[in-house]
Amino acid sequence: MPDNIYLPQLARVAYIKDEVYGERAIKTFRVEPVDGKLFDHECGQCAMLSIFGRGESMISIASSPLIREYKQFSIMKVGRVSSAFHELEVGDVIGIRGPYGNSFPVDDWRGKNLYFIGGGCGLAPIWPVITTAVAQRDYFKNITVFYGGRTSRDIMYRTELEKLRDSVDVHLSIDKAEEGWEGYCGFVPAAVMDKDPNPGNAIAITCGPPIMIKFVIQNLNKLGFKDEQIYTTIENKMKCGIGKCGRCNVGKDYVCVKGPVYSWAELKHLPEEY
Amino acid sequence: MINLQDIRDTARDMLAKGEVRTVIGYRRGTRGMLAEPAFITDPAQADDLVWNPTCFHNLSLYLVEDRKFLAHLRQNPGAPIGIVAKGCDARSIVVLMQEHYFKREDVYIIGVSCEGTGVVDERKLAPHLNGFQASDAVFDGDDFVFTTAQGEKRLPAREVMADRCLECRIPFPKEHNLVFGEDKTGRQLAEPFAALKRFEAQEGGDRWNFWSHHFDRCIRCFACRSVCPMCYCDECVVDSITFPVTSETSAEEKANRIRWIERSATRSENITYLMTRAMHLAGRCTDCGECERACPVNVPIRLLNNKMEREAREKFGFEPGASIGGPSLVASFLDNDPGDFIR
Amino acid sequence: MEKILEKKRIDDWIKALSDWEVHAPALQDGIWTYQPVSGAIRLDHPNTNQSPKGFAFPQREIFFSFEQIKGEPPKLKQVLPKTPQHAVFGVRPCDGRGVPRMDKVFNDHVEDPYYNARRKNVAYVGLACNKPPSPNCFCLSVGGSPVSTDGLDVQLTDMGDRYFVKAITEAGKALMKAADGMFSDPSAAEQKQLKQVHAEAVAHPQRKVNDPDGAPAKLKANFNSPLWEEMARACIGCGICTFLCPTCHCFDINDEVQNKAPLKGQRVRTWDNCQFPDFTMHSSGHNPRENTGARLRQRVNHKFQYFHENFGMHQCTGCGRCITGCPVGIDIVTVVNKVTEHAG
Repeated sequence: MPDNIYLPQLARVAYIKDEVYGERAIKTFRVEPVDGKLFDHECGQCAMLSIFGRGESMISIASSPLIREYKQFSIMKVGRVSSAFHELEVGDVIGIRGPYGNSFPVDDWRGKNLYFIGGGCGLAPIWPVITTAVAQRDYFKNITVFYGGRTSRDIMYRTELEKLRDSVDVHLSIDKAEEGWEGYCGFVPAAVMDKDPNPGNAIAITCGPPIMIKFVIQNLNKLGFKDEQIYTTIENKMKCGIGKCGRCNVGKDYVCVKGPVYSWAELKHLPEEY
Repeated sequence: MINLQDIRDTARDMLAKGEVRTVIGYRRGTRGMLAEPAFITDPAQADDLVWNPTCFHNLSLYLVEDRKFLAHLRQNPGAPIGIVAKGCDARSIVVLMQEHYFKREDVYIIGVSCEGTGVVDERKLAPHLNGFQASDAVFDGDDFVFTTAQGEKRLPAREVMADRCLECRIPFPKEHNLVFGEDKTGRQLAEPFAALKRFEAQEGGDRWNFWSHHFDRCIRCFACRSVCPMCYCDECVVDSITFPVTSETSAEEKANRIRWIERSATRSENITYLMTRAMHLAGRCTDCGECERACPVNVPIRLLNNKMEREAREKFGFEPGASIGGPSLVASFLDNDPGDFIR
Repeated sequence: MEKILEKKRIDDWIKALSDWEVHAPALQDGIWTYQPVSGAIRLDHPNTNQSPKGFAFPQREIFFSFEQIKGEPPKLKQVLPKTPQHAVFGVRPCDGRGVPRMDKVFNDHVEDPYYNARRKNVAYVGLACNKPPSPNCFCLSVGGSPVSTDGLDVQLTDMGDRYFVKAITEAGKALMKAADGMFSDPSAAEQKQLKQVHAEAVAHPQRKVNDPDGAPAKLKANFNSPLWEEMARACIGCGICTFLCPTCHCFDINDEVQNKAPLKGQRVRTWDNCQFPDFTMHSSGHNPRENTGARLRQRVNHKFQYFHENFGMHQCTGCGRCITGCPVGIDIVTVVNKVTEHAG
């Protein structure tokens, strides 16, 4: 870590892609260092991104740690800083500091079946795990991705998901039926039940809106997944990223340090302050 | 003299009969002699109620909170809420009703007259107690009687009373459903706006130095705003800590919200905060003085509000909280309103 | 190093500290605050209105400034505080105990360069409390003492016309060495008197947290207790309790813009407060601590459970400021006692 943890490194936006349009617009940004190199990270970690004059926001790193040249972030337009991100153009310079938080124990999962269950913009935090597992395909048994959006227009990483189909089972879903939609219609927890995943030698990783996570976990439990086999991430408002500013704690732990990745076995014992 | 038992009996009866759903009053706190706000719903707890010179709080603040809570739950109020109110507090309730925050029938005002006295100012009291802490305080005619480890200490109330009470012109809740104590309107313990007059006797440069000094000292804990029943806005324009966001608030609204002041407690930001607040209280502030009492660093906030109050009174003959049906200062225009203030 | 200083010579000692910027409590605007010393000091203050935490953790800290001309990359300029050496006189033992707690927060896991840059230049000259300076003192029940030296560099004890002066750290020794000739060695009688003064100080009755050792587990068990909402019913959600606290460290970071084009501004840290409604509010509007009950619980649990679980000690040092300052009577001693006595 640098001497002054609060001083961001400058990074240039090298690529912008519109993932989702409309009210819950999501854009993907790739950023490269202006000078030197960016920090290394692990799957699930976050970075504090700045737009000078607007402020900072904690965003999960959506690119695989195997990619060293750039870091990728998918940002939904929700507030002050994220709206400013949506106005950026290629070549603009932002600030970045990190990495923050813990990570998914991907190496421990070698030899297992992996089920990824994402909803909405919740695909971004687990995307580095998916892409890392795919890049190291031989280390893992079956890999299955369930991902749903409210409508077909809310599906992010559409092209990338299609490419995954070569080596991974991909099940896309949307909440309500639409003309021309060939995937599942219904909520993500139901989409999971529909495919009846086998808990044997498996790990399930889920991320999405809190209500979705709640029912996904209930359903996984029904299918026989043990709490230790289920992983998720949580979010809280953050300012410092290093456990000092005092707001992201759930019980004694600061999510920016001990989180955002939790197994359900750990998380279910924590107070629901997230 | 008010018989405390009468207040307790009233609260108990009304709660038992379901005529009110809660009585907001005062009870003994756990910090020495001080009273604290009490929310009595069980008739058996009515005997917790107290009435003494430490009943500072303007409890109408909690009528606002109650209303916000009901709105949050999307519930109707049902039975009215009972509230113990001094003269200034009752005038605040009237202002809130003028502003249609709630209806008259939603509130049952248990008025208490301050009679010949008012509430104590702890800062004035301290030097009288030789470093001892009072464990009890009671009214006794024109005196306050304090109990300390050294015994009983009787003091003429006017020596340790809050300025706001000394300067109070109407120490009686005119608007009430029931009232305890004598109406001593017309009593004159100190000239109205006496503190303001003392301040204004200074030269302009001294006045600026005075306020610069105090604006620098404000730590922006927002206690003055938080304790004020008139500061009920869900979103305060000059306080960055309240910004009601729901799932329906658009990203644009959030992104474009103007920050009139920064979070830093620096002079420019503090001036903007305190002055804007004072302007927004013109014709609404009933001089309960809670902002100044709550201030942890003794910024003389009351002077700002008093200034506005006196302007309203002298220029427009306006008395905040005088009557529910009466006009509000800034939302009404009368043919005989003076025009000199905009020249 | 233990010495005796005649009381009337304290101003001479301070004068001899030409390498330090000396601050001491002064009564101004009706409250005691730490002020730069010019002339005589009096150390007869109850406790200061605000804790001395601001010497290392000021309410406003500039992290860096930024400038950007449109189309060009921004330029950042780091601003690390360069403070002179400070000697803070009259620090009460509770506030002294706040110092190591703040040190932990700002150095656990990652070091905070701004805090440390200031902290290394502050020496705390404590004053033992011969009797409790506030009716809301409760240091004894949270592991402290009116004669504690924890976090202090020098401890003064008032012995009538003299101070018993004890150096606790190297920084403290340096302060005493700067005025070597003014001190005398304590006699056996003075040593004995010190013991007696300290014994009397500790014997003074104080308010009491009844079960400090049981608090972490009991608070944890009562997380969902309806008591929280009930006890916070009167809370107005202001920042007094935490801004006055010697160990509250929560902060906000914001960009303050002085000029829009070309962009010019500063990234600034300011004190923040767990009692403010927006403290934990997500951008979506979701707020994990939605009401005053949840916020009161956070403040109390942080002091008496979370900090204890993380660092093995209570964060609260028993100064009583949050009790004295609360406009509506919320009393942390009463709150902790109620919750810990409540059958979970």
